[in-house]
Amino acid sequence: MSTISKEHSDRLYWLGRYTERFFTTLKALDKMFDRMLGQSHIYTEYLDHFGIVNTYSDSREFIRSFLYDEFNPNSAAYCLERAYDNGIVLREEISTSALSFLQMAKDTLRRAENSPNPRLSLLPLEDIVYGFWGSINEHIYDDEIRNIIYIGKTIERLDLYIRMRYPYEISRKEYIRLLKNLRRVPKDTPYRYNTKALSAIEEIMGSEEDYLSRTDDAVSSLGQLFETSEVFV
Amino acid sequence: MKDLEQKHFTKAVGNANEINELLRRFGVKFGIYKNGVFNEQFFPFDPIPRVITAEDFACIEKGLVQRVDALNEFLFDIYHDKKIVRDGIIPEDFIYISKGYLAECEGITPKNRIYSHISGIDLVQGKDGVWYILEDNLRIPSGASYPLIARELTRIAAPQAFEENEIVDNRGYAQLLKETMEYANCGGIRAILTPGRYNAAYFEHSYLAEHTGSVLVQNDELFVEDNMLYHRTYSGGKTRIGVLYRRIADEYLDPLTFLPESLIGIPNLMEAYRSGNVGIINAPGNGVADDKGIYYFVPKMIKYYLGEEPILRNAPTYLPFYKEDMKYVMDNLEKLVIKDVAEAGGYGVVFGSDLTKEKLEEFRKTIIAEPRRFIAQEVIDFLDLPILDNGETVMRKADLRAFVLSGETTRVWASGLTRFSRNPDSFVVNSSQGGGFKDTWVLK
Repeated sequence: MSTISKEHSDRLYWLGRYTERFFTTLKALDKMFDRMLGQSHIYTEYLDHFGIVNTYSDSREFIRSFLYDEFNPNSAAYCLERAYDNGIVLREEISTSALSFLQMAKDTLRRAENSPNPRLSLLPLEDIVYGFWGSINEHIYDDEIRNIIYIGKTIERLDLYIRMRYPYEISRKEYIRLLKNLRRVPKDTPYRYNTKALSAIEEIMGSEEDYLSRTDDAVSSLGQLFETSEVFV
Repeated sequence: MKDLEQKHFTKAVGNANEINELLRRFGVKFGIYKNGVFNEQFFPFDPIPRVITAEDFACIEKGLVQRVDALNEFLFDIYHDKKIVRDGIIPEDFIYISKGYLAECEGITPKNRIYSHISGIDLVQGKDGVWYILEDNLRIPSGASYPLIARELTRIAAPQAFEENEIVDNRGYAQLLKETMEYANCGGIRAILTPGRYNAAYFEHSYLAEHTGSVLVQNDELFVEDNMLYHRTYSGGKTRIGVLYRRIADEYLDPLTFLPESLIGIPNLMEAYRSGNVGIINAPGNGVADDKGIYYFVPKMIKYYLGEEPILRNAPTYLPFYKEDMKYVMDNLEKLVIKDVAEAGGYGVVFGSDLTKEKLEEFRKTIIAEPRRFIAQEVIDFLDLPILDNGETVMRKADLRAFVLSGETTRVWASGLTRFSRNPDSFVVNSSQGGGFKDTWVLK
């Protein structure tokens, strides 16, 4: 395996998490946008999933904040900034090309802010994020390093799906995907997951009933799976 | 020469927006601290290249190789026998008072006796077509990555410009750098040491690491054990580093040798280096050779070490240290440019013509009190280059930073960073002062 420091491995993990958080947030907000067309106050449902108090005067303010406000830690813009912050110090690992997709995403999001039709302006972001992952696949030659970023990605996706009460069968598929990535972690690396936390998740994801009733436990166990601290500059 | 740029640039200009869009996409940024706040901004790029004819470049190349070879000889001499001082060519004041002279480097001979592996030599072209050396940068000269990526992207955005002109391909810089690093390698992997993301040139550090296949590291990932430098891996292992291209200043490199308060250095690095177990690019202590005061003596060094006449000229320079030069400086202060030898990056440069009568008198006293601190130069009326400003072509002052790489042989990169002033009244082109950059085309 190539030589890579602890800080870079942590950053790879968080790059995966924040890129996925950006992507899933964007998709969830897009769905919310659609539903709000007929019933504008439905956005409170989204806030409830994350236990956020509704301080927004209307759906427009909610959307603006959750899409573009870099100071709102639950916004797409915030997640993208954090993804970029992690990515920029990983250029030689992920490549200039992969990093350029994050810059493009930032520019596209910024442009959409002033667009009269944000949904239409945000559409290219899906292509850009897929491009980013394609570029990651293409440029990270080392399987072990690539797997770190994918573990971050799948943990984040599962976490958000559970919080947003996605249907069991969809979350279950993401769980299987996470297991596959975990199995790729070599036994002799310290980058090992917490087996106790994994057993708890396994139990919850075993049945639809547990999945629907033990959301908080599932989220908490996912959080304990890795003791990877987020790196801030 | 203006005509040369006009003749060749037209095709590139038509695609200025596309080129800038690509530079944005690829994050070609430059960090600036203003009032203590870090701002990362896109480095303004002008699509009109500087064009150098093959004939001109051949002369520049020869002159730069000669100059850098002499400077490397000088560095070896200064940290060993100091023959050039004993023979009276350079007064010893200029060596020992220089902030760049590091007594801790005495007696160290880097692998293959190369001290300055990557030299950034700043030149300007006078209106008469003559090239002058403005300064030598032998510590951590930055800037090569910008024309490198700009060329790559301009070839995408404006391919016609390259179909119609025969230009020497500059995209081999990373390979040149890799070979240079390997030549200094004492056994192990290649690493580039960065102070971190909030360094002005972080883009360059990471871009060069990516393109030379080096590991980009910060100090806390490194340690010295048994006089060897290692990279601490995430799995708890260690990988030996054979050559370290450091992008931090000498005084911060090793807190046990230099500034003890340095938080970005590696304890005992200098011992590993002194033992010949790791190559450092560029060698610590090089500052003694690119000191603005020493600049005056470089033509003399060329004669002394190589027995040759200098091919490239220095800008006419006066040292107030010498009586006759002091007299000239005092008599002509209002038309000279005065440089504080301790400053860099465009700071500490004062044009006599910009000063009021009172300020001029005040400055005169400072020079008399501290003659070693300043050099004075004639203001070279250097060539203006065309730049695109809101769709209009305007003329601005520009210099050229040429990159000379010393490995098995000394080679000049057939390109360089052309920096220009965006202010019509300014001669200061430094990016830290808000200047922009151009690609530099060398014609075949």
